[in-house]
Amino acid sequence: MASPRTNETTLVEMAVSGIVTTPAVRPGQYIPHPDGRGAVLPGMYGVTYNVRCGDRAFGWAGDHVEPGVSIDDDGHSGRHHALHYLNCIGNDAMVTSGMAAGARGIVVGEHARILVQFDPDTHDKMAPGDRVQVMTKGQGLRLEDYPGVALKKMSPRLFHTMGVTESAGRLHVNVAIELPVRIMGSGAELNSEYVDQDLMSGDRALMAELGIDQMRLGDLIAIRHADHHWGRSYREGAVSICLCIHGDSIMTGHGPGILTLMTARDGEIDFTIDPGANIATLLNLGA
Amino acid sequence: MTLQTNIADIVSVSVVGQVANPVLSGLPAEPYRLDVEGKAFLWPTFGGIVYNVSVGDSVYGWSGDCVHPGVSIAHPDANKNRGLNIFACVGNEALVVSGAAQGAKGVVTGKSGRFSDQVIVHFDEATRREIAVDDRILVRSEGVGLAVPDCPDVSFKSLSPSLFEKLPKRLNDGVLEMGVVAVVPPHFVGAGAGLTSEGGSLHIQSTDRNELASQGLHALRLGDVVAFQDTDSRYNHGYLRGAMSIGIVGQTDGPRAGYGPGCTMVMTAPAGQLDCYDAPGTNIADILGLRP
Repeated sequence: MASPRTNETTLVEMAVSGIVTTPAVRPGQYIPHPDGRGAVLPGMYGVTYNVRCGDRAFGWAGDHVEPGVSIDDDGHSGRHHALHYLNCIGNDAMVTSGMAAGARGIVVGEHARILVQFDPDTHDKMAPGDRVQVMTKGQGLRLEDYPGVALKKMSPRLFHTMGVTESAGRLHVNVAIELPVRIMGSGAELNSEYVDQDLMSGDRALMAELGIDQMRLGDLIAIRHADHHWGRSYREGAVSICLCIHGDSIMTGHGPGILTLMTARDGEIDFTIDPGANIATLLNLGA
Repeated sequence: MTLQTNIADIVSVSVVGQVANPVLSGLPAEPYRLDVEGKAFLWPTFGGIVYNVSVGDSVYGWSGDCVHPGVSIAHPDANKNRGLNIFACVGNEALVVSGAAQGAKGVVTGKSGRFSDQVIVHFDEATRREIAVDDRILVRSEGVGLAVPDCPDVSFKSLSPSLFEKLPKRLNDGVLEMGVVAVVPPHFVGAGAGLTSEGGSLHIQSTDRNELASQGLHALRLGDVVAFQDTDSRYNHGYLRGAMSIGIVGQTDGPRAGYGPGCTMVMTAPAGQLDCYDAPGTNIADILGLRP
């Protein structure tokens, strides 16, 4: 089947650097369950040793679990935003200081920090404060024959591995799970190139009924009636293709994080459910 | 109808803020914001003293982005501002305690959340003309802790007991039913989802104008009382079938994706203990006698 034409040869590849973060907790930082019970849970920042892209998104004794290594430059707003707006999913990264210097990894997500995954041996050698450089490439990527389709945080590498095909003037994408737009929650106030939007998992019965609780980190996701061109909002007939980047949350209005990859308003995107549509497989991220 | 509350047990405490100045971000991309079509726009937004937009006016049609009617206040210290934003309740009395308008009284009509975190206070226009940016405004906060013994599963927040008493309502087989102007379906819940429900705002998405009209949300006024279907606001705002929350429209519409009229959420229950009925025209400007 035909593959859509891109402007890939025009893209600029540029290094942006961040550092491995360390968890930050405020005094008395209980987070509430929906019924008000307080909890303290790990998940965000730092090196996560035992949760990797491809693992389950639900069921961890954690909150907003970020797979891999979470990097940021929280001391400098301009560098922070450069990292956030220029990195794309599937970009190469390289450790440039510390015991793991020289090791290579791949960007697997963007939360309040950029999530980069390396092999487990490299994770064992990394420490908060180590520098990680992302060779960013993908901002500006577009499909020459589909002006109504926007690509967000999409590296050319990820786009090619997704195997997007075209027929009858429409793009066809395989996704692991479809989400109903009415459960899209925290993050509606953010730009669609910045961080993610959580699905709201508080209706636990609905999660089970729709099989959403089987979601895996790295799953490709489709949402109908979601327009993610400039921000995220309800628009009848729109379709957005997204990526699950962090784990579930106990907090009302939160849940696994869903980051935008593709969006179209006028039916240019169609999708098929394929439970294997996960970037851990597509990008050969290993166990 | 009147319901017995625990008003005798509610603690009323002072919180204070200063009249906020509008803020804009620096170069290079700003001062512009992007509308849902990706087009840059430059309009007044939150903060400041707004002279010509008042509670009771339409939320639609203004050349502004989520504008706060009347006067917006905040405290420069983040923690103290949180105290102001959480303890101030819609319907509370405000008092100007410095500047040319010292002694003038106003009424809290709303709150805003992430990226602004301000409390919105109504004063008549003559008073607004005397108030200056940075003037101090005290709120006699009263309402946090409000409960209705006959409705133990309904949570109250950001709502003054005296305003609650005046809102149209009825008790039907143990279910508290509130009179509302319109019902917001869960797919229109936008900015504010997942954020605190003790302060801030929850926005009604307004990108899809056809859908907005078909839901009867195209004629909202600032101060209208609305219901949010399948929305649990006990601890943050989020989706839950059977839950309902009641909000008071506090900010105008805006052109950004995920945004639209902002509401201060005042009541919630998780499983059918709170419901609503059509009560066209239910607006706190009329109920509290707020005049521009």
